[in-house]
Amino acid sequence: MKKDSVAKKRIVPVVFMLVITLVFISITTVIYTFTKDTIALNERLRLKRAVLYAAGVQLPDDAVEIEKAFDNRVTEVKNETGGVKYYEVAESGTSNIESYVVIQVGAGLWGEITAGVGFDNELDSFKGLEIIDQNETPGLGGRIGETWFKEQFRGKRPPLTTVPEGDATNENQFQAVTGASYSTAAIQDIMNASQEYAHMEILGSQ
Amino acid sequence: MAGFKIRKVFADDLGANNPVFAQVLGICSTLAVTNVLKNTVVMCVGLIFVTALSNMTVSLLRKYMPSRIRMMVETLIIASYVIIVDIVLRAFLPDVSRQLGPYVGLIITNCIIMGRAEAFALSNPPGLSFMDGIASGIGYSYVLIAIAIVREIMGSGSIWGYPLLGDWWTNWSIMVMAPGAFFMLAIFIWIVKGLRDKEEGESS
Repeated sequence: MKKDSVAKKRIVPVVFMLVITLVFISITTVIYTFTKDTIALNERLRLKRAVLYAAGVQLPDDAVEIEKAFDNRVTEVKNETGGVKYYEVAESGTSNIESYVVIQVGAGLWGEITAGVGFDNELDSFKGLEIIDQNETPGLGGRIGETWFKEQFRGKRPPLTTVPEGDATNENQFQAVTGASYSTAAIQDIMNASQEYAHMEILGSQ
Repeated sequence: MAGFKIRKVFADDLGANNPVFAQVLGICSTLAVTNVLKNTVVMCVGLIFVTALSNMTVSLLRKYMPSRIRMMVETLIIASYVIIVDIVLRAFLPDVSRQLGPYVGLIITNCIIMGRAEAFALSNPPGLSFMDGIASGIGYSYVLIAIAIVREIMGSGSIWGYPLLGDWWTNWSIMVMAPGAFFMLAIFIWIVKGLRDKEEGESS
């Protein structure tokens, strides 16, 4: 009688928990296995789209066309360990380098911001900015992903400073996102740090 | 009889026993995601899915589940369904998944899901528990969507990301910040309770 009681109190809950955990882990594993290739494909496409956008290339609508444009115009320059140092983007139909793109990571409000930053071939001015990954507050800091915000960086020259949203800018200024000073400062740091990185890695290796 | 019970469940969860304005549950996500309508709708769909299926699963297991570990089991079930929602969004709606960021994972912490599992699914059959999950999710959703519409219009001058009010409108920054949601939720509760008090006053 006592043994039954111990089994019921101690062993049954443990076994039940183990079984139910095994069942649900199996279900999520199966779903993950079926979708992991699609997720990886989405991530790769996202990166290619970001590199082209940051380089100022007119983006095709179709995913296949984006892949084709990337393969035809972009060269990955890798470091000793096989990681990508930066991207060279050629003019359409030629092998002349039109722009460079670097992937820069910086600290946002809630987590890291990963951005693709494009430069002209002399590294004097920005060709564009694309936000690859961010966890800023949706509707507030998250607005750094909006088109008006990203588009304003084309043709700007580092080092950059900010002005309030809606104000006129010169070539060294960009408009902040109202109410998101931390996220704006993070983008400012990323843009300025990316120029230092680009000078070090691209000019340093030439 | 089953039809009557389902109607009662829906009437309760959408009205007198609404999870947001009557029980004041799920407030974290009400504050967090209602500044943009698109994110709110995806969050609501995710929550309806998770609440309905976790309610049904808890109900199916209720006769076999040792009571001492029931909350651990419920958390495991809810977390599993949330992971499924997250994986599906990343695979088939990657842009929405990126915009929602950590909020999808935070469905796990939504008090409504655990609340319905404990208060309803543990003592009702699976079919009715499933419908209760749907009803609670809809009860939560329509409040959030109403708040999100007002917040996005006033805070960003747009709806579903499309400009609505034009350049003459000055965006109210407070509306896209958490305090804006507090104000909107309080106004919503004030209006609903006012209407209900008025109805009760007229009927008595």
